[in-house]
Amino acid sequence: MPENEKTVVKGLSGGGVTEDSNCVQVDVKNGKIIRIRPFHFDWKYERKPWQIKARGQVFEASMKTLIPPFTLAYKNRVNSPNRTLYPLKRVDWDPKGERNPQNRGKSKYERISWDEATDIIASEIKRVQKKYGPTAVLLQADGHGETKVVHAAHGCSRRLLSMMGGYTWQTRNPDSWEGWYWGAKHVWGCEPVGKAAYQSNIVPDIAEHTNLLLYIGCDPETTTWGWGGQTVSRLCYWFTDLGIKQVYVCPDLNYGAAVHADKWIPILPNTDAAMYLAIAYQWLTEDTFDKEYVKTHVVGFDKFEAYVLGKEDGVPKTPKWASTKTGVPSRIIKALAKAWAKAPTTTVHANGGNMSRAPYCTENMRLEVCLLGMQGLGKPGRHMFTTIEWGLFGNMNPPEWTFGKTIPVPRHAAYPNLVPANRGFAVVGSDLPAQIISKVMISEALNNPPISWYGSTLCRTLTEEQFTQYKYPADGCSEIHMIWTDTPALMTCWNDANYTSRGYRNPKIEFMLAQHPWVENDCQFADIILPVTTKFENEDIGIDNFTAEFGTLYLDQKCIEPRGESRSDYEAVCAIAEKLGLLEKYTGGKTVDEWIRVGFDNCGIKHLVSWEEFKEKGHYVIPNDPDWQKYDIGLRKFADDPVKNPISTPTGKLEYYSQRLADHFPDDKERPPLPHWIERGETHDERLSGDRAKKYPFLCLSNHPRWRVHSQHDDMQWLREIPTCKIIGPDGYAYQTMWINPADAAKKGIRTGDVVKVFNDRGGVLLGAYVNERIMPGVIYVDHGARYDAIVPGELDRGGAINTITPRKTVSKNATGMVSGGFLLDVERVNLDELQKQYPEAFKQPYNSGSGLTLERMFKQDE
Amino acid sequence: MTRYGMIIDITKCTGCYNCFLTCRDEFAGNDNGNYAAAQPMSGMNWMKLIEKERGQYPKVKVSYTPVTCMHCENAGCIKAAQGGAVYRRPDGIVIIDPVKAKGQKQIVNACPYRVIEWNEEKQVAQKCILCAHLLDKGEKVPRCVESCPTGALIFGNLDDPKSEIAKLMASGTTEALHPEFGLKEKVRYISLAKKFIAGTVIYGDIDEVAGNVKVSLSGDGQTRLAKTNGFGDFEFEGLADNADYTVMIEASGYKAKSVKAKTLKDTYLGEIVLKK
Repeated sequence: MPENEKTVVKGLSGGGVTEDSNCVQVDVKNGKIIRIRPFHFDWKYERKPWQIKARGQVFEASMKTLIPPFTLAYKNRVNSPNRTLYPLKRVDWDPKGERNPQNRGKSKYERISWDEATDIIASEIKRVQKKYGPTAVLLQADGHGETKVVHAAHGCSRRLLSMMGGYTWQTRNPDSWEGWYWGAKHVWGCEPVGKAAYQSNIVPDIAEHTNLLLYIGCDPETTTWGWGGQTVSRLCYWFTDLGIKQVYVCPDLNYGAAVHADKWIPILPNTDAAMYLAIAYQWLTEDTFDKEYVKTHVVGFDKFEAYVLGKEDGVPKTPKWASTKTGVPSRIIKALAKAWAKAPTTTVHANGGNMSRAPYCTENMRLEVCLLGMQGLGKPGRHMFTTIEWGLFGNMNPPEWTFGKTIPVPRHAAYPNLVPANRGFAVVGSDLPAQIISKVMISEALNNPPISWYGSTLCRTLTEEQFTQYKYPADGCSEIHMIWTDTPALMTCWNDANYTSRGYRNPKIEFMLAQHPWVENDCQFADIILPVTTKFENEDIGIDNFTAEFGTLYLDQKCIEPRGESRSDYEAVCAIAEKLGLLEKYTGGKTVDEWIRVGFDNCGIKHLVSWEEFKEKGHYVIPNDPDWQKYDIGLRKFADDPVKNPISTPTGKLEYYSQRLADHFPDDKERPPLPHWIERGETHDERLSGDRAKKYPFLCLSNHPRWRVHSQHDDMQWLREIPTCKIIGPDGYAYQTMWINPADAAKKGIRTGDVVKVFNDRGGVLLGAYVNERIMPGVIYVDHGARYDAIVPGELDRGGAINTITPRKTVSKNATGMVSGGFLLDVERVNLDELQKQYPEAFKQPYNSGSGLTLERMFKQDE
Repeated sequence: MTRYGMIIDITKCTGCYNCFLTCRDEFAGNDNGNYAAAQPMSGMNWMKLIEKERGQYPKVKVSYTPVTCMHCENAGCIKAAQGGAVYRRPDGIVIIDPVKAKGQKQIVNACPYRVIEWNEEKQVAQKCILCAHLLDKGEKVPRCVESCPTGALIFGNLDDPKSEIAKLMASGTTEALHPEFGLKEKVRYISLAKKFIAGTVIYGDIDEVAGNVKVSLSGDGQTRLAKTNGFGDFEFEGLADNADYTVMIEASGYKAKSVKAKTLKDTYLGEIVLKK
């Protein structure tokens, strides 16, 4: 290959943790990215694909990565007109004079030098810490993003401030699976995440024994993409070839259902708990459940039975009862109950989607586990199959959590761990800083302190920790006076972000710093924005552990020069550390190259490949474990002998009634010890049956986005041409697509292509209407993650950031999860001309329909 | 000899748009000399995806049909071009010469499939070249085929009887997207969406779906039999366009019921209630 050309291997997941996925081969010529293509495992190594055999058929692993669409359009992201190219300062923020916090989100910016920026930042950190104490600095430093190791996209700030006496840490909640974490954990343990942890070798078992796959709120053609590519898509086709029926239960004919479903059962958002209760009612009254299993594996079944049959509250949970809650005809519920009981059935999830991120969603997830228990969970063909994040939590787990890396398909021979080289904070142990604020509680903390809540909300903590009460301000700690974010996505991904924006404008916040490759979302509220490189612009090391076919360790090589004056997150924090006189301490005296070497030396595969070979080839493909079949299948051992093989609940059994919840929260009516249908409660009133529904008659379905990974990739020009991604309005603006059923659209006078406003008492969001048969009447479907583009900050958004109007309150009183779907709103057509007259400034902003936001708009425009 | 062709299996297309995106990645902003001028950064669709929603709520499915240059043997674009600006290589790939074709807008209109596009900036007609520039360097497949996760795009040598594509072509299961054009397309399809008639049978006297009930469909010179599944659903796929059909439903103990339907579109008959 000529000297000016090279091909490098690079992971391109949207994960942002130390482990990566979706490996690609990047062809680079003369410092330009020519092409991004699937990585071929046999490019430089001879490797044999794993095979699964079942029912006389063979499934063979692909010999190339099955990458998702974002990966192929990644040049758009690197070259986005929305890149932060220089350090920026808000024009009316003067650290020596007026700070004008009220103008955050409105003011324009000016370009400053790195030297100037880091001088201001260093002196502000020192000033704030001296005046209020170290905990006055809030670090928002954990989330999704590009997966980098030495140049870690998140948490470099934490390493620095931990050298300066501490900080307040924004703890990340299990934002994609709240219902499992706060609900299902109490039934089946599955520490620490609460989702089906025991996944080992489930796919071969499904292939051989399962007759029915139930995708409940699950889209295997969307949510899995950012983490694991499209392997699951191939599996879904194979399941069909094997004669396994696939039924989808969800408000939308989602992208998986559109091509794989044998049956779509539409259900109103966040009403799954009622359907589960009615199914249990059918099984109990028709005697079609595994009584022997229940006797030996379940605690509290008598109470469960009493509730379902109506002995507790006088309301038998019949299919007719459930049909009024769910919108599913009772005969369909009965047919589903019959099909499920008749043959080995496995439920399928990709984190749970909307139904695990909704008001009282603990009950949905707890009840699903209860149903699985009634049909012999863990027996052949009877599982819960997770299509996403295979093995994510395994590497970081302490050894006593025995399931470790549990992979539903044949596993790799090794799962290298690059945490020792990670210069951000990749892993969180028990060393919490003196003050934490759950990410779910940030807006309340900024707007309305003092506050308290239960649980650190950290997604890797054990259930017991959910009973610890935290408060802000913590004893001996300060209120927040400075915010430093490398995770500026609350405006589009977290709860009631309009309220958060008010928090960002609070006068108590004297300084807000953002570091990010793109000027988007929360960056628009910062006083200083530092430009950050993409992973194409630095030398690093990476490990693709999540790709199912093979693992790949690679030198994550630089392809192009940093755009503008951007630096990596690590280099940016180094520059600040230097101004604080802490550079040597911060870097540990090591260069980036030396840290890369630390990564290789400590990742655990030196017995498989030498540094010299790794360096020469640029990557190493980890073979598969020839003994993969020796690992236990799912919860088989528990199913076989629950006494010898207990699960991680206090009793070691499936706890339909949780004594632990009863002990800690005896009066909790919103997450009682036994899972219930919660129509409404003191925390939420978001059902169609309530008075609020008279004002806001639609339920919002908000899935993980099809054409983004949360807030990432919204500026990909090529994706934005896809009709289910954006709707181009008559004004040329690419509006976030909103689905509405033709019957509802007719009532509202809405046609495909119309610009509409969805709204409730928390604000309004403009969207582009897509009228179609794939969505249930009464439901408005909007993917989250479209980037915030305020018309009126805190009130009206044009970018399609639906989370600006999601409920502020947590899943329930004592379950500190985030609610981002299953809430009430209304929709109406908007008169764009009138809006333009009303808000001329907002509509005059420079705009690029290919990228949406642009850097240009951050500056004052010449009249 | 090597003669290239492609088969697109509609049953395996999930609509992920990888084919469309990878084509952009390869050609937008990348000049490929004699093979193709660089595409503009957006707007061109050498590989496009036609999405079609089929049926009515709640019996809906989606078909995705990738459409690209068919590399026809009877290529109208070759005839329409002047000075040999469009030509067929010995391997069958039809190429628009980016230099000779300059200014020849009539090439765009010569294609009934509408897969040739006009590059306004370069003033040249452009379309898929099956990544000939990469095949010539030893790549085995075009980039869209490489990026397809499910194997919906099958590419290979039509003249190699052992190749997957030659076997499929010989199987008689493939068809042209528009056979009526008579262009001898080298890109052919498996399972192009036709029309379906579906319905759900329920017993009127009890609140139950009617499973395992005999359903027959007659029309268009044929009769097909089916049984409802556990949800009371039946479906007849692959029906002719604009044909008249009669669906007859018979369950013992209930009056037989017949329903007429015309396949102007995919039709969900809704809930069909049987009475005693």
